[in-house]
Amino acid sequence: MLSINNLHVNVDGKEILKGLNLEIGRGEVHAIMGPNGSGKSTLSYVLAGREGYEVTAGEILFEGRNLLDMSPEERAWAGIFLAMQYPVELPGVNNMNFLRESLNAIRKARGEEELDAVAFMKLVREKAATVELDDKLLKRSVNAGFSGGEKKRNEILQMAMLEPKLAILDETDSGLDIDALRIVAEGVNLLRSPERSIIMITHYQRLLDYIEPDFVHVLADGRIIRSGGKELALALEEKGYAWVLEEDAA
Amino acid sequence: MNASGSNWVLDLLSRDSMPAPVDWVQALRRQASDQAATLPQPRRKLETWRYSRVETLLKASFTPVVQAPDISGQVVPAGISPYKLVFVDGWYSESLSHTDGLPPEIRIGSLREHLDQDSVRKQLGQLANAGENLFTALNTALLNDGLFLEIPDGLVLQDPVEVFYLNSAADTPQLAQPRNLILVGKQASLTLVEHYLPGQGRGYFHNGITELQLDAGSRLSHYRVQDEASTAWHLSQLYLEQDSGSYYHGITLSFGAHWARTEYKTGFRATDARCDLRGLYLVGDGQLSDFHLDVHHDRPACQSREQFKGLLHGKGRAVFDGRILVEQIAQGTDAQLTNDNLLLTRDAEVDTKPQLEIYADDVKCSHGTTVGQLDPQQLFYLRTRGIEKKQAVHMLCEGYAGEIIDHLHLPSLREQATDRMRQALERI
Repeated sequence: MLSINNLHVNVDGKEILKGLNLEIGRGEVHAIMGPNGSGKSTLSYVLAGREGYEVTAGEILFEGRNLLDMSPEERAWAGIFLAMQYPVELPGVNNMNFLRESLNAIRKARGEEELDAVAFMKLVREKAATVELDDKLLKRSVNAGFSGGEKKRNEILQMAMLEPKLAILDETDSGLDIDALRIVAEGVNLLRSPERSIIMITHYQRLLDYIEPDFVHVLADGRIIRSGGKELALALEEKGYAWVLEEDAA
Repeated sequence: MNASGSNWVLDLLSRDSMPAPVDWVQALRRQASDQAATLPQPRRKLETWRYSRVETLLKASFTPVVQAPDISGQVVPAGISPYKLVFVDGWYSESLSHTDGLPPEIRIGSLREHLDQDSVRKQLGQLANAGENLFTALNTALLNDGLFLEIPDGLVLQDPVEVFYLNSAADTPQLAQPRNLILVGKQASLTLVEHYLPGQGRGYFHNGITELQLDAGSRLSHYRVQDEASTAWHLSQLYLEQDSGSYYHGITLSFGAHWARTEYKTGFRATDARCDLRGLYLVGDGQLSDFHLDVHHDRPACQSREQFKGLLHGKGRAVFDGRILVEQIAQGTDAQLTNDNLLLTRDAEVDTKPQLEIYADDVKCSHGTTVGQLDPQQLFYLRTRGIEKKQAVHMLCEGYAGEIIDHLHLPSLREQATDRMRQALERI
């Protein structure tokens, strides 16, 4: 489904990703772990198409299409979704309208009919319940004044509404207490499907207790230096990143 | 240029040959005419005109409309209220208006036809001082007609009253000068919606004056939508005085005109009154919007809010000059002024000048202005959700402007305003 080959990316003239390779198959859940500054967030932004990231070499293919030629909205239409580490506040933009515009844009791109108001409301209520998001937050401005947990649940609600083929969860566990983490994780687990791939970017093993990955990768200094099963995450939790880095250097 | 007077104004005044309808108005006119002859011509060297490009207005020539114009072919837009009053070139048009069903105690309609009222005679020209302002002098010197509205004590009108200012087709650009007097009685309450529209006019100059008196405990929601022809000049001056416990809730939306300026001059007669002034301006190529506020806190314990937001695109220009003066006697004043500007293009330009002058020591006052661009993070966020860039820009602009539009308590007017803004953004 997703194939990243020898990806080199500069930010402000500095090389952040230095030859990254990654293959994600349909329905697989991959965790990408790594120390601060290793390039995790850069990877998620490059996948979503943010400006200011200069790809100097390599390619990203999504279902055979060259992702780097596509605008952020075209990537969303193709089925890519990024749940952000710091969801952006949109003062004055009503959360419900935002969800509706977004869903209808993506349905249109898929060749589906726009949802009418009643069907849309029904869907939002149903999905909001799965992440225990208060109805009141749907009537407010997007993320404006939301708590950290509410913002993350709002991200997962969007994911549930948009039903992407590939979801990238960037540090979705950061800033969450244990109850909020459980709710968010349950929301994600409900969305696991043989048709949907997930990339989880995280610092900590903790999230992986709730959302069990098929594969775990260690990203360090702009490259994937080790890949394995979920037991790799446990080893990292126990021993830290140092031993992987040392073994890679050797 | 004539330093001791304005040839431009003298030329306009010399062309009015129709006598005033009554003697006391004739006296008022003559006095204003004399004052107009001595007031200096507006120019950039005067602080109040510094950024406003007034010299282009003073180069244009206009014809005063000295009698009721031909209204054939005028189309009045469908309103949101059962009560509508229509003015063409500043003259009341009874046949286009609809006031049936209004409580008979309300005095409403043409100022010209109410000149025999004691209240008109007593109040007209009390707030709008022709000796201080050339355009006020010009309006007064040619005073013919306008809106008169007097709500008696205790009357609460639920439905809004809607007023349309239109312009006639003419070979030469017209000078339309509605002169409005609005008197709201004690504990009375009213919503007044005014629309400034081209009608059939092009290149005209709307030089309107509104004097507003709010008696104790009264409330006026006053919503104004300026959507003049793109070739037109528009100047609105609002003079407001409030008695104790009254509440003025004013919003001006400025969308149209080549050159548009709105001036609020407000004062309090007693304590515990509240004055809210809000505005939204949207300007693009070939447009200038200018807001001037002069809020005078000269009584204790009054509250004022001044919140103005601008959306500028293309080569749009805007000026905001907001002054709040808190006199020593005005202890307990609460006044907050903000002006935010969103520049969608490099070529857009705004001059913003908030001024807070405080001579009292026990007050709560603040002011702040911002000039910024769309946040690329917000745009990116929307686009990752499948929303196209253009649509994302619209949503963010609507969200930004919504902070003003949401204060309109009439849902149909909110929709109208939002639609109008979308139309303008569509062209960007």
